[in-house]
Amino acid sequence: MNNFFWNNIFKKTRSECELITEFWQQTPLFKNIPSRHIHSLSENMHVRNFQADEVVFRQGDQGAGAILVLEGQVKVYANNTLLSDLDKGDFFGEITLAETDKRTADACCIKKSRLVYFLKQDLEEWIEIEPHLGTIFLMNLASILAQRLHMANQLLSEKE
Amino acid sequence: MNFSDNPAASGSAYFKTFKIFVFVVGFILASFYLLSSILLPVIISFTLYALIQPFTNYLVRKDFNHSLAIIFILILMLVFSILAISFALPQLLSQVTILKSKLPVIFNQFEHFLTIYSQKLGNFIGVDFNVSDILVSLLSQSSSLGNTLLVTISEQVFAITLSLILVPLLTYFILKDFKSLRNKMMNWLPNPSFELGWLIYYRVTSQLQLYIRGVMIQSFIMAVVASFGFYIIGLDIPVLIGSLAGLLNLIPYIGPLISILLAVLVASAMTPFDPSIIYMAVAVIIAAQVIDNIVVIPSVIANAVDLHPVLVIVGILIFGNLFGTIGVILAIPAMATAKIIYINLYADIYNASQNKYS
Repeated sequence: MNNFFWNNIFKKTRSECELITEFWQQTPLFKNIPSRHIHSLSENMHVRNFQADEVVFRQGDQGAGAILVLEGQVKVYANNTLLSDLDKGDFFGEITLAETDKRTADACCIKKSRLVYFLKQDLEEWIEIEPHLGTIFLMNLASILAQRLHMANQLLSEKE
Repeated sequence: MNFSDNPAASGSAYFKTFKIFVFVVGFILASFYLLSSILLPVIISFTLYALIQPFTNYLVRKDFNHSLAIIFILILMLVFSILAISFALPQLLSQVTILKSKLPVIFNQFEHFLTIYSQKLGNFIGVDFNVSDILVSLLSQSSSLGNTLLVTISEQVFAITLSLILVPLLTYFILKDFKSLRNKMMNWLPNPSFELGWLIYYRVTSQLQLYIRGVMIQSFIMAVVASFGFYIIGLDIPVLIGSLAGLLNLIPYIGPLISILLAVLVASAMTPFDPSIIYMAVAVIIAAQVIDNIVVIPSVIANAVDLHPVLVIVGILIFGNLFGTIGVILAIPAMATAKIIYINLYADIYNASQNKYS
């Protein structure tokens, strides 16, 4: 029955959910995780619309999860230095998946954007149900964070 | 957390936090008021949700269909409850009958105590108390109270029947659809508050789940310890009084005092009258409280709530006055929730105002 009143207006369209699954699948975060599991996770992710020049988060804000750029463009700054310029399919803010703490940089939308939030709470609930896949995910996350640390060390040694 | 870096930022943050906090708490209280007619089944269903969810997750992990897992657990719980009730109810009913037959003796004993102590007190302060007058007034008041109670109970029959039907239905739908409903409601938050809203929700629910599970275990342990203690000292109706002590333990500070009063009344009605059993009954409750405070609370409810004892007592009295018995039980989780909301709101608003001032 295709009745407007009874339709779930918040439900993501099938193609959008598949697009989110596809984007996450291409990231190192979901390496070696079967797409049907990423798809079931994507169904519960939160899509938010941002205007051009709208702040996504500021340094020091409390963060709740990682963010994927579904549409648009986001720039990440730390102390007014551009750290990265992110397009669709890129993700950022994954540190808060390991530790719900303060954001370490500022993020701002350059264009009108659609961002997908993957919250730490959803990750924890998923790990409770799928502990084996959860372990793979956490290893991927650890590897990404280790690479970031390595890069930061290199940058520091270059400065010195 | 150190909020002393910037006084201007901290002052402005306090004021903003207070405004938003009042709005949030007002919204929650208004929802409670709207739901007041079905508040009890809703609270029972959410409590069952907190208890059952780990088991459904376990079954889903074992490749069960989610809806089937919920139905399976609910049926299992229903069967278990029927078995437990059919086993315990006759025992409890027989103990209630004994208590009923003992009520006149309890009353006489109470009169006896009152006469002796009023004479002693009268001699001490030089005033003559007329015990029979006090008793007549007490009796007339208690009979009108009894009538009111009967009317209230007959009125509550509808509410209890409604609860019996609503609780399994609500529990099923909460277990099945709560997450998607929750996600939709959280999507109403504006972008700057989206992550903060989720963090507050996450912290509140984690603490509430810990608290509910802890309190259930704590009450059960208290009921077992007190029943066993009363049985050992030879008190009448030990299981009924022990179970009541376990239930009353849900109300901190005030509950144990009522348990002591109950145990003393039952002990004083025993024939032949033996004063030592009164002291032993009090000792059982105190021993159970010591076990609760030294063993159960640190291992089961540690860090579930971190509230000042004075705040707890004042909160229980205010909530009890506002929402009755449910208010007394809800006071601690409600205050713990308010505390988390306030701390997180303040941390976020303080950070925003520091960014502004810097």
